[in-house]
Amino acid sequence: MKISNLTKGILKENPIFVQLLGMCPTLAVTTSAMNGVGMGLATTAVLVSSNIAISMLRKFIPSQVRIPAFIVIIASFVTVVGMMMEAFVPALFQSLGLFIPLIVVNCVILARAEAFASKNGVVDSALDGIGMGVGFTLALMVLGAVRELIGNGSIFGFGLLGASYKPALIMILPPGGFLALGLLLALYNNFQIKKAR
Amino acid sequence: MRDILKTGLILLLICVVAAAALGATNEITKDKILEQRFLANETAKKEVLSNATTFEDVTGSSLDEIVTTFEPIQEVYVGLDASGNVLGYVFKSTPTGFSGVIEVVTGVTIDGTITGVRIGNHQETPGLGAKAKDSAFYSQYAGKLSSTPIGISKSEPAGNDIQAITGATISSVAVTGGVNASVDAFNWILEKGGLEN
Repeated sequence: MKISNLTKGILKENPIFVQLLGMCPTLAVTTSAMNGVGMGLATTAVLVSSNIAISMLRKFIPSQVRIPAFIVIIASFVTVVGMMMEAFVPALFQSLGLFIPLIVVNCVILARAEAFASKNGVVDSALDGIGMGVGFTLALMVLGAVRELIGNGSIFGFGLLGASYKPALIMILPPGGFLALGLLLALYNNFQIKKAR
Repeated sequence: MRDILKTGLILLLICVVAAAALGATNEITKDKILEQRFLANETAKKEVLSNATTFEDVTGSSLDEIVTTFEPIQEVYVGLDASGNVLGYVFKSTPTGFSGVIEVVTGVTIDGTITGVRIGNHQETPGLGAKAKDSAFYSQYAGKLSSTPIGISKSEPAGNDIQAITGATISSVAVTGGVNASVDAFNWILEKGGLEN
């Protein structure tokens, strides 16, 4: 068990800013900070469970069919989580339900299964899942906050820029997702390069 | 040859276990989910036609005629007061939005005023089309008259227009289409002099 497996996902190997994984749901849902957090938490739950399951089965799954096997396992987790949520916590499903089907197509989960969980033990894989999930959630939250602030004048629904601010709507429309992501990537890389010097 | 068989069998085994888990979850949750949807439906009916104390389902040939003539209406309910007088009608329609159908529940009183519109299940984009579920959007329909169809305006709504959700014109048009179909069906019922069950 190595604690670096937990922390590496947050900054050093951040799934969004460094690995550039899971771009499709990232760009689609980060129209507000709250949406980013919702998607991040739902993904984290699936990521941790799928990492644990795949790590336990890693010696059993032949390498030729590992990708279909991983996808079946991940999709089953997502569907079970979705059905359980709708049946037992309808209030949570109301706000998070829309994100659930998007998680199946999130390649962060498949990438961590392939790159980490299929080669490491259960505890390390769980730590990796938690760390990557937290990093993913933080990145989505920052991206959502930037887009919401410029595109709607608020963060987490609280108006910050006052009524006189005319929101730049493009930021919460799809092109704004690319703009915000590109700018944040540049900032992040600039910060990492300066740190390395 | 033996390898292929073994690999295939393992993949088959994983799929069987996953399918069994999904089937079991479905068995556990399906009644609960139906119950939750039924409750949400009841609440929506009460919200859009708050004066009514009881609701009666419209069934049989009248429903068939409405469903075929006024697409996309699916269900019609008659709202009654305590002594059984007809106060208004509630229509459930499922217009097609940006991604899949949107459940729209519309209440119209007998004097031809829309008393409320609520959005049920939908798969619209979080942050854009999903804003149809915010009261800022759906409350615009309340108080509109059934005499003229409701229009959509992108900037300054006038007369019987509502303001579209920015960046989600398709969702706004879809919801308005559902409401207008409900209004048409309402006018048709009035002309007929009511529904006999």
